[in-house]
Amino acid sequence: MLEHVTPKPLPDVDLPTLKQVGKPLRRVDALGKAVGATVYAADFAMPNMLHAKVFRSPFPSARIAKLDVETARALPGVACVMTGEDTHGAKLNTDLPGQTGRAARAGSDAPVLASDIVRYVGEPIALVAAESIAIAEQALRLIEVEFEELPAVFDPEDALRPDAPILFEPDNVVAKYAIRKGDLAAGMADADLVVENTFTMPFIEHAYLEPDAGVAWVDEQGVINIRVCTQVVEHFRSIARALNVPQNKIRIRGTMVGGGFGSKEDVTVEIFLAFLARETGRPVKLEYTREEAFAATSKRHPFVVTHRTGVKKDGRITASEIKMVADSGAYPYLTPYVLLYATGMAAGPYKVDNLHVDSVAAATNQTFTSAFRGFGGPQAALGYEQQMDEIAKTLGLDSLEVRRINYLKRGETTTTGQEVKSAAWSEECATRAVHALGDRAPSTETRRIGRGMASYFQSYGRIMWFHDTSQAWVGLEQDGTVVLRCGVPDIGAGQSNSICQIAAELLGVPLERVTIYSTDSAVTPLAGTSTATRQLYMSGNAVTLACNEIRSRLLKRASESLGVAEEALDLGESRVFAISDSSKAIDLPDLAKLCASEGIGLSHLAQFNAPFTDGLDPETGQGDIWPDFTFGAHAVELAVDTETGEIELLKSAACHDVGRAINPAAVRGQICGGSHQGLGYALMEDFELKDGYIQTPSFAEYLIPTVLDFPTTDAIILESGTGVGPFGAKGIGEPALTPAAPAVANAVADALGVRIHDLPLTPKRILDAVQRSGRKDDGTAE
Amino acid sequence: MADPITITLRVNTRVHNIGVEPRATLLHTLRELGHTDVKNGCEIGECGACAVLLNGEPVNSCMVLAVQADGATITTNAGLGTMEKPHLIQAAFADAGAVQCGFCTPGMVIATKALLDRNPNPSEHEIREALSGNLCRCTGYGQIVDGVKLAAKRLASSRQTGGASC
Amino acid sequence: MLPMFDYLKPRSLDDALALIATTPKAFPIAGGTNLLVDVRSGKVQPEALVEVGFLDELCGIRKEGGEIVIGAGTTIAELLSDPMIESQLPVLHAASTTFANTLIRNRATIGGNLANNAPCADTAPALLVLDASVELASVRGKRSIKLEEFLTSPFETVRAVDELILAVRVSVPPRAAIGRFRKMGLRKISCMAKVDVAVLLDFNSEGICVDARIAMGAASPVARRAVDAEATLVGNPLHPERIRRAADQTAQAAVPRPGSEYKQQVVRSMVTKLLDDIAREGGDRRG
Repeated sequence: MLEHVTPKPLPDVDLPTLKQVGKPLRRVDALGKAVGATVYAADFAMPNMLHAKVFRSPFPSARIAKLDVETARALPGVACVMTGEDTHGAKLNTDLPGQTGRAARAGSDAPVLASDIVRYVGEPIALVAAESIAIAEQALRLIEVEFEELPAVFDPEDALRPDAPILFEPDNVVAKYAIRKGDLAAGMADADLVVENTFTMPFIEHAYLEPDAGVAWVDEQGVINIRVCTQVVEHFRSIARALNVPQNKIRIRGTMVGGGFGSKEDVTVEIFLAFLARETGRPVKLEYTREEAFAATSKRHPFVVTHRTGVKKDGRITASEIKMVADSGAYPYLTPYVLLYATGMAAGPYKVDNLHVDSVAAATNQTFTSAFRGFGGPQAALGYEQQMDEIAKTLGLDSLEVRRINYLKRGETTTTGQEVKSAAWSEECATRAVHALGDRAPSTETRRIGRGMASYFQSYGRIMWFHDTSQAWVGLEQDGTVVLRCGVPDIGAGQSNSICQIAAELLGVPLERVTIYSTDSAVTPLAGTSTATRQLYMSGNAVTLACNEIRSRLLKRASESLGVAEEALDLGESRVFAISDSSKAIDLPDLAKLCASEGIGLSHLAQFNAPFTDGLDPETGQGDIWPDFTFGAHAVELAVDTETGEIELLKSAACHDVGRAINPAAVRGQICGGSHQGLGYALMEDFELKDGYIQTPSFAEYLIPTVLDFPTTDAIILESGTGVGPFGAKGIGEPALTPAAPAVANAVADALGVRIHDLPLTPKRILDAVQRSGRKDDGTAE
Repeated sequence: MADPITITLRVNTRVHNIGVEPRATLLHTLRELGHTDVKNGCEIGECGACAVLLNGEPVNSCMVLAVQADGATITTNAGLGTMEKPHLIQAAFADAGAVQCGFCTPGMVIATKALLDRNPNPSEHEIREALSGNLCRCTGYGQIVDGVKLAAKRLASSRQTGGASC
Repeated sequence: MLPMFDYLKPRSLDDALALIATTPKAFPIAGGTNLLVDVRSGKVQPEALVEVGFLDELCGIRKEGGEIVIGAGTTIAELLSDPMIESQLPVLHAASTTFANTLIRNRATIGGNLANNAPCADTAPALLVLDASVELASVRGKRSIKLEEFLTSPFETVRAVDELILAVRVSVPPRAAIGRFRKMGLRKISCMAKVDVAVLLDFNSEGICVDARIAMGAASPVARRAVDAEATLVGNPLHPERIRRAADQTAQAAVPRPGSEYKQQVVRSMVTKLLDDIAREGGDRRG
């Protein structure tokens, strides 16, 4: 399987040659970070600053029978202790307009501080601000609290049973969707064979290196300033709502984020800081410990995914019935949307005309789940891609061949009936990823080589009925340098660099001449969240609009000076020049001064609006959800030691059509980094809870890949130029992760001859599977 | 109990004579002294973000009490170079795409410095061994390894031309 | 932050022993890579830490006749860079290469690793096959105790609260002896062992095994030797049938926690692989 694959030739594409875009330039943020000059959230201090700590629930389900903070308040050096009473029962509203899950979520938003019931270990109950961390910690120990333990539920399927303890009335359903496309019964009747499998996947921790942190203070205008590492500047609105202050009295000053991956999409420390700064009138700092960052922030949703697929003997899918059960943990947060993403991508990059998807997310007394790179897409892919291999195996066909005849093509429709309007290079990517593995290593009796691949499709840009927008302000200074103001949070993926590189391209200056101010809700135009693989698409387009406006003003004025038509001019190397005769030119500083003296403005604020649509059809789940999709594939070769259960990853190759690589080095970084997270998902990561108690509280127990675990992924970058981002770019941030884990799972199944249906693929599970396959080989019953 | 103890720390170009509580880790002490390029990632020696050179050896500063470092010479990442005059390793990291979120970078640079000081021409495996105590969640490590290789290459050529040592 | 404790820096070994003996809840500290983690988690609640790693009596690696004495304060990095360890105690050198990670190895000490006695302590199986003794000192005097007896139960040893590990003493195996070490964890480095195994075999010129030592860690509450398996090998050439039996016996000697029974299979496999390697190498040596 998966050998001697010849890559399918690429369709012709016509990509214009550009000056700055498409080059692996040194990122604008790189040197400051490399020399340690970047001031992260925890690196900042204010005079007269207090230090905060959070008192958290030690129980997964309990009533707070008594909460007495008077002794803690009386401790010298304690500035304030706040409880749910002091926050007036404020809640963290998830600030997303538009359609939510079908089940009502009213009343189920997480309280800022629990005052009656606690629903997971780590739930915040009280806040302390003190003169030092040591005093704050001592005050935590002086908080007197009594709990009455309550019945609890720790499994989403249990939570849906009628006798389950209810986290929120009327039931534990947090979200529920149904897709009804075509005629399932007819499709199944038409099938030669029906293949059914159930796959599970665990909680996963984001494990960003920078624990959540921030500093807040109230300024002379009464504005609560919060300097925080966040993916979402716009949370100032939910914070204002929780504090009951006007929205223009909360200012989020985002920092360079030391990794987010979706976890810093939720409100974390900033809400506590806002309350404490207002209460004390002093600057307050809150830094989570690593253990707190694990216990008190979201996780990737565990899913149980069942595929029942009707297929013809040649592998063609005639019908598919998919069920998904997701674990929401104790509070909904972004669960309804994560489940919607998983549901809307449930059938994968395949043409499935007769399709039912039924998905549900249930509340349990465990750490809450929310956004994590891929946002339900990776769980969906672990379902459809393992199922594709099982179909191929059942039919005795090559797994790539089964995929090939089912791949969605441009113009065909996805799970929700949305037409794919850009290039759908599934086959181009799959064949290249597999080809890159080269020759297969030989197996021995106890060291079995396996190969696996996985295709995927993944949205970029937010759900279109969120009516997403981004703004950017671009100005050309009189010395020809460029200033960019854009509220894009940079979470390490090169968000700010990409838009700088676009501005450099369009305004004809070297990248070093562009300076960006980002992530300040008061002074940078709001650019929306650094989530959903949307910043290059949204803010890239906003910057493009702003730059093009300035560019046209420059060309118009230069045209007058040079006596050359605007269309015959270009910008580059900090000058405007005639394309036919580059000696006819005017330097940008001269042109900028000329414009200034004549009152021609060289700054512009632009807004990019994504397409706006309505929600899905409530009966059929059909409709358009996302602006566009990225397609790609991942392939791996690995060795399984059938005696020890060890897995050695030998080769890893990923191929993605990124539309256009604005900075190929950054794209490679996304692909290699995303795939490593996916490989860890498959092979070692498991945020384990036992009866609601965390078993993997730190980096000593929760293991993420080190530099020695896996070879570097061979990143193959294709450019169809057909994306809806600037210069035809698609998104790659989330897609990079999605296919890696199913590729590994398929390779292990290939090596062993049996499928392990649960992640991660630990030595223990491998040895169990070897035993199963051994029994099969003997012909004895399982 | 636990009165402050006076210690001397030589950190980069600065000499600090300070009183510290016995329980203060070198990590916290350095950060409080303004050396915030030393990052706090886990406080249990698992992530390497707080790595510094302690008398030339790379260690997790969270696993050393400040009092244990009395009299020691400590080099942090910021002690190697600046924006205007980056260290060759720092520049190589920036150029190789080794820097994404940047939070692991100071520790990675320190581990690299320790490696190249004793082995200027490391193999890929030696590079990976040397970085085995430093976690990165963004890059998948490939471009970090590239950054170390680039630094080693530039180091070799700068030595040939009589330039600065690592 | 860490909880409050005093920090005491003694002037001499005697001073250190006196401090440990007289200060309530005093713990010796050297590298601190286990201790500080335990203090942070609250598992250990010291009132004072007594610095010991720098004491002359705990430093250095030296040869005394047919024995090598490793100061308890020797870091894993020092073990790794010591040519004598590499050439004469390759099994310990190999174990050190799998120990935690590069940064931790610069702080963690061999004495600390044994004093902590985690079931997965990486140096323990290697030192067990080297028949190591632990040298302890207190104000009451000095004693030397076999490592097997020293390691009592998980995170417990026979070290009294007022005792300090001074050194680990091992006899240098005969030149012909072959030592091997193998570790399996959930990732390749920087993790606790799921299973680790050390073997040390000596042969006469006819290829008959004259001494066999097999030890395993993480597969039982405490690292331990597999004496039955050793007896199976001694007096015989290292034939596949012997290897199989010794591997089975080692696996049977493992006592994994409920739910981790698979570790017996892993032990069996790892012992087999190590002995197979030695059999091949032995064959090569004899031409």
